Amino acid sequence: MDTLGAALNWLAEWGFIFVVAGAIAALCVRDPVKRRSLVRSLLIVGGIVLGSIFLAAAYGKLKPIPGFPWSWASMKTSIALFAIQVESYNLLSPGGANTVAHILPFAELFLGLWLISGVWRRYSSLLASLVFVGFMIAIYSAYRRGLKIDCGCGVGPPEEAGPAALLRDGMRFLLPALIVTTGAFWLRKQSSASPAAATPESASAVR
Amino acid sequence: MQRRNHSRQGFRGHWPAWIWKSAVAAAVLSIVVLGTTLRAEPRVAAPQVSPLVPTSDALETYGSSSAPITMVVFTDYQCPSCRVLYENTLRPMINDYVASGKVYLVHHFFPLPMHKYGYEAARWVDASARVGEFANAEAALYDNQDAWGASGDIAKYISAAMPASDFRKVETLMKGCSFSDQPGSCPLDQSINADQALGEQIPVRATPTYVIIYKGHRLPAASGAVSWPILKQFFDSLLSQ
Repeated sequence: MDTLGAALNWLAEWGFIFVVAGAIAALCVRDPVKRRSLVRSLLIVGGIVLGSIFLAAAYGKLKPIPGFPWSWASMKTSIALFAIQVESYNLLSPGGANTVAHILPFAELFLGLWLISGVWRRYSSLLASLVFVGFMIAIYSAYRRGLKIDCGCGVGPPEEAGPAALLRDGMRFLLPALIVTTGAFWLRKQSSASPAAATPESASAVR
Repeated sequence: MQRRNHSRQGFRGHWPAWIWKSAVAAAVLSIVVLGTTLRAEPRVAAPQVSPLVPTSDALETYGSSSAPITMVVFTDYQCPSCRVLYENTLRPMINDYVASGKVYLVHHFFPLPMHKYGYEAARWVDASARVGEFANAEAALYDNQDAWGASGDIAKYISAAMPASDFRKVETLMKGCSFSDQPGSCPLDQSINADQALGEQIPVRATPTYVIIYKGHRLPAASGAVSWPILKQFFDSLLSQ
């Protein structure tokens, strides 16, 4: 389980490089057919990268605290600990923070699997982008109010809410999410404009 | 051709490869070892550091050190967030989970330079702790934070919080520790500075900062206020494991 978590964490932290490189490559290709093919591949890679971010975030929130084995009880303890982190943002009441802490890890798990599955990718990536924007607003709000708290992102080492966390989230999470969303909508538009260009594979890629 | 190869080999040509490779490795190793040794040598005496969880005879603690959960808190008495944590979270916790032996609460001083009377307040509480009046002194300072924070008259609230005989002992301990003295000039400052040195190691970036330890497993430090229902839920979850 730890190896899986480490692999997800690595992909979540560094996967954006593949997505950005793929986007640059797609922009450099002039042939429309080749570009569509490249964007299709980019969307598959991007979906895996974005999915890994959410799965790593869910894993970081649900994994047992040191010294505890994996069990439902230890996950409940981890969720209770995450509720403390949510409350430290001072944005929600104790009840609200508790509700968010109980829903968010499972929502991230669902969104991660949805992104990797590739089903309705433009909607899943759009939702991922909106979630990242929401997280960044919360971090910025905490920073503006002078709160020195752990951003509670769950990906990578603990980081204080501030410009570094915002830059990291913007570059590593939001940028690939926007690239995948743009690519998915672009490919859908291309396929609608010239149905002949849409191969069965592309149809499944942009479903 | 042979001569050119020979000249390119230079001194290496005269010695077996393993000799010069070993020499280079030894030189690199020497530099690393020497550098580490020189860096590790302290230039000034390291400050005394408090233990994170003190022994059972510690003064600034609540409850029993044998409790399954230990909560270590770094606070500044003039910090508003610390007051919120104390009034809304620590006070109900002391009355409930500390009283029932579930939690051992350890206090460490971490007065911030930005608070004019923060260090002075820590001295008063430290002196009160030495005569067994830590809990009363702490409660008095948090309950009246706005008042003494404005006037600087900490003694007024400390004296009201304990019997006159104890306050006289506190005053005796505070002799030679006037407000104008720099931190470190008063005998009481040693324990405050040791707490601060511990806080630097945690590291404490803001007050309040707290560390939770459950059965020897230390969780990462967190800062900011946390409400008692949320903290209680976490403690209940830990205790049910």
